[in-house]
Amino acid sequence: MNCKDWEERLALYAGGDLPPDQAAAVERHLGECPGCQLFSSGLKEAGQRLAEWHGEPLPAAHFAAVRARVLAELERQRRPFWRRGWAYGVAAAVMAALLVLLAVKPRPPVLQPPAVAIDRHPPPAAPDPAADRPAPPPVRPAATPIPRKRHASQPGEQVLIRVVSNDPDVVIYWIADTRGE
Amino acid sequence: MTTFLATVGPMDSPEGRSSVLDAAKAGDLAAFEQIMRQYERMVLVTALRLLGSLADAQDVSQEVFLKLYRNLGKVESSAAFPGWLYRVTVNACHDLRRRRPPSVPMEDAGEMPSGEADPQQQTAAGERRRVLEMSLRILSEKEREALVLRDLEGLSTEEVARVLGSSEATVRSQISKARVKVKGFVERYFRRRV
Repeated sequence: MNCKDWEERLALYAGGDLPPDQAAAVERHLGECPGCQLFSSGLKEAGQRLAEWHGEPLPAAHFAAVRARVLAELERQRRPFWRRGWAYGVAAAVMAALLVLLAVKPRPPVLQPPAVAIDRHPPPAAPDPAADRPAPPPVRPAATPIPRKRHASQPGEQVLIRVVSNDPDVVIYWIADTRGE
Repeated sequence: MTTFLATVGPMDSPEGRSSVLDAAKAGDLAAFEQIMRQYERMVLVTALRLLGSLADAQDVSQEVFLKLYRNLGKVESSAAFPGWLYRVTVNACHDLRRRRPPSVPMEDAGEMPSGEADPQQQTAAGERRRVLEMSLRILSEKEREALVLRDLEGLSTEEVARVLGSSEATVRSQISKARVKVKGFVERYFRRRV
């Protein structure tokens, strides 16, 4: 048998990783193969050297540095949020965002009160038989709303009130008696 | 059965370990520091062997212990620490290797000041560390993980398989290949020196 085939088993045998029956077979082969004996002792020697070097102590400062970093991080995480540096940054950012929002927020349109036009309209003295259809009430142009103003009206005098809304299609007229104002 | 750790101080007894764990869970940082002291060598040295850079290994150790602190509530007993820590350490090393290339060449990782006062001894110790790092560097990532956990950290094949999330047969194959490669490297290195 080619000794190359024994390499894997010899490597496992060197670390005690073979089940007993396979370990016994390796030992039998080692008893009759000087080349594999040399190979096996080389494996063991290299493994022992590595394990020995690995076990050499590291300077304590390397561990202390890690410990200090971990504890500092944990302390930082446990600090109340108002004592953390980033909390001030976040608060400042939120305030700035609020100010910007307030500055650029579109204002709602202010509704103007409807313009009210009051027109004196003396009551007809007598019905005009000639006029079958009532003439349209005189209306002042809505463009110049007349400020609401008390005026000295005669008791019993009728006034025509025209209400102009923002909608040009909606105009309200009514006739009111000034008595009892 | 491999013993994962050597116990010291107030964590000598199971009762002591349990009370320290309870205190750490309650937020006692001094208790958590005791736990760190218990496992810091295991974590830092494993990361150093896998990464070959002390700075990277320290970064990984910090990450592992912060993760441990966050997960303390899920740990029922400190007996679960070693397996969990090995697994998290190996994964953190994977992640770090993906994130950035090694910050220090592998052979430079051994250049650490040690306690030896004699310059000749320091040189010899430095050379041993260098050979160790170089012999690990010739291995594939999987072979290195298997060899470090099995031969250097002393875990059983079954434990290594559990940590690495692979089968025992795969681990045995990786270990045997790694041992043959390391043997060849060490012999060539010392033959050249002679």
